[in-house]
Amino acid sequence: MAKQKTDSDYTPQLDVSAPRSMRVAGRVTSLLLAAFLIGLFYLAYVLVSHSPFYMSKSGATGYGTVYDRTGDVLFDGTKPLSSYPAGQFADVGNLIGDASGQMANTLVGRNLSRLANYNFLYGKEQGQVSLHTTLSHKANKAVYWKLGKKNGTVIACNWKTGELLCCVSKPCVDIAKGYDNIDALPENSLLCKAFYPTVPGSTQKVSTLAAAYEKLGVSAVNQMQFSCTGTWINAKGQAIKCHEAKGHGTQTLTQAFRNSCNPFFAQLVQSAKLPLSAVIETYTRMGYSVNGAKADSMSLDGITIAPASTTLTDAKDFDTQWGCLGQGTTLVSPYQLMLWECAIANGTGTAQKPYLISSRTDVDGKYSPVHSAGKTDGFFSAETAKAIQAVMTENARTQYSYSLGKYTCGVKSGTAQVEQNGKAYENSLLAGFCLDEKCPVAFCVVIEERVNGELTTAQLTKTLLDALSGINSQK
Amino acid sequence: MKKSLSHPFLLLLILIAHAAMLLLVVFSFGLTPDAVELASAVLLFDFIGFIFLQFVHREACTVDSVLLLVLGMSTIYQSCFGGLTFAKKHFIFAVAAFVICQFTYLLVRNPYRAEKMKPLWYLMFIGLVGAIFFLTGSRGIWIDLGFITLQPSEFVKPVFVLICASSIRTQLHKHTLLGFHYVPDNLALLACTAVIAGLQWYCRDLGSLPTFVAAAGCGLMLRFRYLREKISLRLVIFLCLCVCGTAAAAWHLAPAYVQERLHSDIWADMSGSGYQQVKALTAIAEGGWFGKGAGSGTLIHVAASRTDIVFSAICEEWGLFTGLMTVILVLFLPASLLAVPPRSYYHSGLAVGVAAVFMVQMTLNVFGSCNLIPFTGVTIPFISQGGSSMLSSGILAGFLKAAQAPVLTGGNTAAETEGGR
Repeated sequence: MAKQKTDSDYTPQLDVSAPRSMRVAGRVTSLLLAAFLIGLFYLAYVLVSHSPFYMSKSGATGYGTVYDRTGDVLFDGTKPLSSYPAGQFADVGNLIGDASGQMANTLVGRNLSRLANYNFLYGKEQGQVSLHTTLSHKANKAVYWKLGKKNGTVIACNWKTGELLCCVSKPCVDIAKGYDNIDALPENSLLCKAFYPTVPGSTQKVSTLAAAYEKLGVSAVNQMQFSCTGTWINAKGQAIKCHEAKGHGTQTLTQAFRNSCNPFFAQLVQSAKLPLSAVIETYTRMGYSVNGAKADSMSLDGITIAPASTTLTDAKDFDTQWGCLGQGTTLVSPYQLMLWECAIANGTGTAQKPYLISSRTDVDGKYSPVHSAGKTDGFFSAETAKAIQAVMTENARTQYSYSLGKYTCGVKSGTAQVEQNGKAYENSLLAGFCLDEKCPVAFCVVIEERVNGELTTAQLTKTLLDALSGINSQK
Repeated sequence: MKKSLSHPFLLLLILIAHAAMLLLVVFSFGLTPDAVELASAVLLFDFIGFIFLQFVHREACTVDSVLLLVLGMSTIYQSCFGGLTFAKKHFIFAVAAFVICQFTYLLVRNPYRAEKMKPLWYLMFIGLVGAIFFLTGSRGIWIDLGFITLQPSEFVKPVFVLICASSIRTQLHKHTLLGFHYVPDNLALLACTAVIAGLQWYCRDLGSLPTFVAAAGCGLMLRFRYLREKISLRLVIFLCLCVCGTAAAAWHLAPAYVQERLHSDIWADMSGSGYQQVKALTAIAEGGWFGKGAGSGTLIHVAASRTDIVFSAICEEWGLFTGLMTVILVLFLPASLLAVPPRSYYHSGLAVGVAAVFMVQMTLNVFGSCNLIPFTGVTIPFISQGGSSMLSSGILAGFLKAAQAPVLTGGNTAAETEGGR
């Protein structure tokens, strides 16, 4: 039996070989030191790289300049904005924003740290920081003034490259005039409505059509026919009315799309061939938050865009069918409508992610280009994209050839029934794309509270396309 | 004993560092009475410290040298925040910390004698805990003596480190109860840790709890490794699960004010709960690499700028580079034991305990004020203002110095008894 060890057997001595416990002491200390030093280096990295952000948050630094694609000034933090000609910023106030902190979800608001005239080595100074954007101020102004007294929003991008070319939201604050009394401003002056969900109206039929194509195939859907007598009674005895009181009779898909026939699409949704789960699946791929499920919000150079949302519970129920027609609880931002149009226009079902900042010049004058943010996930298949493109192009050719003039477009119109602050009104929408080589533009146009005889979405689109025609040479 | 030639050289380095900083102060403020007072105090302290080291006793000079350097820098920093005013009180406590470091060294440099004083450490622990419980009042952590306020919890730290270190060699004395083997001293250490946790919970000041937990963890690790070739995988897994379980429980059971700090977004509440950190980060950004200049900082107007967010205050005036170098310099204290390893189990425990306390405190202060971890409000040893913290840190530095001293046996150093090895 081994002898029991006692304390005296281990009386410590000056021992260069260092007993285990002592070696452990050295290792533990080394470990702690190494961890702390690594943390310290990481801290230094974070502090240096985030310091422009800290400075921007503190309001203790000056800011640089934001330019459009041709060098026109959209924001200038180096001198008073009132020194610019009147109306210089009237159309971009709620898109580009300013450094006051009142408009957080704007380009400047979200990129204060990139626009701060500051760096860690030199501290605060009058540097040369600037952001160059893809926006066409010329097109923006043209659309803004074309809207006249009407309110609304217009957004357009190059569907080949993702460059955001135009983004107007009216009413719009004029940052050059200042806005000390926010309560006196017209409602929604400080936010760009292109980034916020709205009732899409019949532009939603594009999404529903995409779901049908995805599940049933293009030829099967194109061969479908449904009858419209003006009012269609669903399986639960609820009425879906058509805007054409006499009805459209028996129609093919192309005819129904052209007529924007509600009963046709309601019957498509209720059809046993198209399970609601398939619609939900396609909607989800397109970025909708369906029945409260989480959907990723989008970002445009830091500007946050809320995802589309809808409630689809029973294919035989009015609310679900109404939602698939773009009314009721369905909400989509014009930005997202434009994004889907990009995926249709390029015929792949996937879009180039839009971006607004094309390059940055830092405080030392060093220029660095910003490239496309890459592609979105696939919304639907290329086959579906091409089929929708054909239907929309046919729609534009037969319905809008006069209004849109020389442009080869594909469009879908919509009329959204909106109720806000106890007041009911209708918004007019047009989402689509232009396939011309000189004008590869996807767009969404919204005119609020439009009534007959006033400016149409097609006329506004024509103004937009005229301003953007030959856009690739406007650099 | 081999006569070292490094003392004058070390003093020269310390003098150059302090003189350079003082020149910058004079450059910023001119030769004002405060500047003269500050320069005289710091340089005189350097000379007296050098004479003490050179002629009184020369053992373990690394700790003393670093301490002299850090204390002088600390006095200069504290005198310059927001404008030049000689921080007399801070300087007095700095000197006191240096002196108490020497006394502590003398007390524990003989590990056998110090280990025999274990009952005294436990008595001191009970006394300090009692003082916190009964004398602070209203679940606070301060004792107001009228002319001075003391924070007894700061003095618990060195006593706790002594307790952690004092029972490593008792690991063979296992007892058995209901089939379980246990070492009474280990249970006593766990009980002390639990008492501290309970007390801090009671006082609503959990900020320094990680410091104690780290010291206890290191102490237990050394005890487990005593005479063992390897720690079994089962034990490692068990310990990891215990740590994770405790951390998870603490995370969920933490009181509301702690939960708020754990989940707060300082940028969402810049004028409320995130105010100090936002100001601290902005100050660092404004300071850049080389600072705004001594006395040019504005962080002084923010609460706790001399204590909890002192790292940012230094960075604002002297620059991030100097701030980082200062922190690394304080690290030299525990790191010195890598160059001169402890020569007894007891001193190993002391050294690791002090290293854990210093590094966890600096982690909580520096990373917390910079928003990388929840902000707790603890001090940086020797740099932050505060007499209790300074004296407590001085005692801990004394432990480190003792850990580098040759082991004493019967009044002679082991080095002497073993032929000067």
